[in-house]
Amino acid sequence: MTQVTPKPNMAAMPGRKKSVGKFLIDWAAVLTLAVSVIAFTLIKGNRFMSTNNMINILRAMSITTVFGIAATVTMAPDGFDMSACTLASCSAYVFVSMYLWHGLPLIVCVLISILVTIIMYQLTMFLILVCKIPDMLATCALMFVHQGLGQWYIGGGAVSTGMRTPAGADPKRIKLGEDFLAIGKEPWLIIIMLACVLIAYIFLEHTKHGRFIYAMGGNRQAARLSGINVKAYRYLAGMITAVFIAIGGILVSSRGSSAQVMCCDNYLMQALAAVFVGRTVGGAEKPNALGTMIGALLVATLENGLTICAVPFYILPAVKGAVLALALIAAYATKKEQ
Amino acid sequence: MEKITLGTRNVSIEFPGVKALTDVNFEVSTGEIHALVGANGAGKSTLMKVLAGANPDYTGEVYLNDQVVELRTTLAAKKLGIQIVYQEVDMALIPTLSVAENVMLNDTVMNGRYIMNWRSLYKRAAEVLQRLNIQVDTHKLVQDLSLAQKQMVLIARAIVNECNFLILDEPTAPLSDTETEELFRLVKHLQATENIAIIFISHRINEIIRICERYTVMRNGMVVDTTEITPQTTTKEIVDKMLGRSFEENFPKEIADIGEDLFSVEHLSGADGKVSDVSFHVRKGEIVGIAGLVGAGKSELCKTLFGAYEKTGGTVKMGGRELKIKNPSQALKSRIALVPEERRKEGVLVNETVSFNVTAASLDDYCTASFLNKRKIDQAGEEYVEKLGVKTPSVRQLVKNLSGGNQQKVAVAKWMAADCDLYIFDEPTKGVDVGAKQDIFHLICEIARRGNGVIYASCENSELLSITDRMYVLFDGQIMAELETAKTSEDEIMHYAVGNRAQYA
Repeated sequence: MTQVTPKPNMAAMPGRKKSVGKFLIDWAAVLTLAVSVIAFTLIKGNRFMSTNNMINILRAMSITTVFGIAATVTMAPDGFDMSACTLASCSAYVFVSMYLWHGLPLIVCVLISILVTIIMYQLTMFLILVCKIPDMLATCALMFVHQGLGQWYIGGGAVSTGMRTPAGADPKRIKLGEDFLAIGKEPWLIIIMLACVLIAYIFLEHTKHGRFIYAMGGNRQAARLSGINVKAYRYLAGMITAVFIAIGGILVSSRGSSAQVMCCDNYLMQALAAVFVGRTVGGAEKPNALGTMIGALLVATLENGLTICAVPFYILPAVKGAVLALALIAAYATKKEQ
Repeated sequence: MEKITLGTRNVSIEFPGVKALTDVNFEVSTGEIHALVGANGAGKSTLMKVLAGANPDYTGEVYLNDQVVELRTTLAAKKLGIQIVYQEVDMALIPTLSVAENVMLNDTVMNGRYIMNWRSLYKRAAEVLQRLNIQVDTHKLVQDLSLAQKQMVLIARAIVNECNFLILDEPTAPLSDTETEELFRLVKHLQATENIAIIFISHRINEIIRICERYTVMRNGMVVDTTEITPQTTTKEIVDKMLGRSFEENFPKEIADIGEDLFSVEHLSGADGKVSDVSFHVRKGEIVGIAGLVGAGKSELCKTLFGAYEKTGGTVKMGGRELKIKNPSQALKSRIALVPEERRKEGVLVNETVSFNVTAASLDDYCTASFLNKRKIDQAGEEYVEKLGVKTPSVRQLVKNLSGGNQQKVAVAKWMAADCDLYIFDEPTKGVDVGAKQDIFHLICEIARRGNGVIYASCENSELLSITDRMYVLFDGQIMAELETAKTSEDEIMHYAVGNRAQYA
């Protein structure tokens, strides 16, 4: 190529302009959160701004946040997982069935559920890394695989107290223990959520593995040519995602006191919404753990506040959708055309 | 057929800080194949973009026969029958559409109808291809074509509508010998059957002498000469004009002690056949150049050595021990570094900070049990920013906000911090201004002085002459010659780089 490259202007360092507009866009999610908290407090006073209601909000956001964290870890290296929540349903089936059908101690049930999820995630990684199918397509197919396999295991019906196993045997436990139910209630529910956020935050921001994963997400080719083993790190991100997926499934079943058929499937879109809102927080421009939590908090706060203001629950999805759309506008509409 | 002439009168173009074209007078007439030659950055592509209407900010005038025309948009150029086929054919083709749809693309966009007339589209495309004597199935998808066939589809697209001037920008650079022959046949066929002028840009002087009638030489944004090609025209004559007498910009070579053999390659092949049977060696403290024109396989060789492209044969040894490198991560473990050519795409992580980029390849040194020590990372950032003279307001600045030369320095810094034994530089000065170029040269010399081996691939022969100790000239993925820098000349490099096997006299 004989192209004359314009001489880069060394004098003009294009430093990041800290303009008011950019500030508003970077912190739009946080500002919206603050404004809505103030507005709801002004309108409904103590009915909104009370310790009990704040706990309500935290409880409502917790499961979305955990699934959001799973999605964050997948999306950091520019991956994507449509099948995360169908897999979580499987984790829930395994968890509750181990507890009720086989009467195993709680901690063993948790570990088995996590282990099974990790094993099932090998299939996801096989399709993505070995068969080289684009993430979106591979996990789209797996979504159906998870649904079918999971329901085959539970025999097409929910796993709950008083039900026989698909083989017709009596369950070992007839009642859910206090410890089982405690996972799905405050304070444990909230503590587990915060722990997940903290672990993901430290992993992504403060370890070299996390930085490598972000480097891959920014530019896979450059990361590879920097000597980063991109396949190994995509695999690592996948395994961590699997653990968070299992935790999400466990929380859902504990909170619902059973593993209903497809109990987790509906969380996918909310979790993705939280990640997308979180991407914009502080101008991070990449999926990040704290942002995801703020995204989930924003949605939960709006839902809670609007419900208190007597807005019918069936309208709320429109509000969620609008928040997501606004976050995406902040992220994309301000971009320059390439 | 009526002869039509297209020409420029005192055309100049200025980019910020660079005068890309200065008072260019250039003329072609239908019926001729006109070569445009010049070293990299001479302004060939810039001039052709003016004729194609892609450089609207020119001063001076363009004339068609005796009439001044305004070429401020690509549409205006197309309406005057000027078509250009750029080197990157994939940019202009839509891989998932059929050959016929691609051939007729401009027509489909411009004909103003709302409903596709498939029968007429396939019929007209087939007619055009037949006119060019090209055998390609019109229903085939373009993604299934070879590079040469894709180029022909583009040429066919260019002549669907009235075309009197066809610009081919380095069409043969990525082609194999047989594909090149096929292209020449097509070009000659066009010349014989259409009222058309073909402007042919190429670095391969031999080809030009073979198929062109006239040539124009450009240097530093100016036209140096326009002459007929006669049987007496020699490669040397053209190369001399391309280079001119003066090429100052010399860099005083910093002498390093050259030690024992460090790295050797025997019969290396790979990168989908773009590297074949390459053997060479690098000694400690030595800077070994890889010369060759654009498309000669220099980047492919560098990336094959680094494990980024697949190696299909041959052995690679470091310090006498054979290396089995399957991916860049293993190359790094074998203490090999690569500073790639496309730095924004491959060399730096543009969305990360300067300090993270600097430490990216050696992050283990800045971690305590996998946890990042951000203070140490920033210290390393500061250290290299100062050492390399990177112009940045802070080490926390994102690399995408730096200028090209500074990004390149960051890419070099990344590998200096990693402390390797062999450093591969692929076109390290591409798009870098003179000041930064000197800084990068100093860095490379310092790397060699530390007793490391350096491979320096570049198509800038003057750079190779000033910085290397020895060099290998590559052509079509093969080594044509090994030259001692002290005993060679730019002419000799060019002689081998254009594919001459005969001994340089």
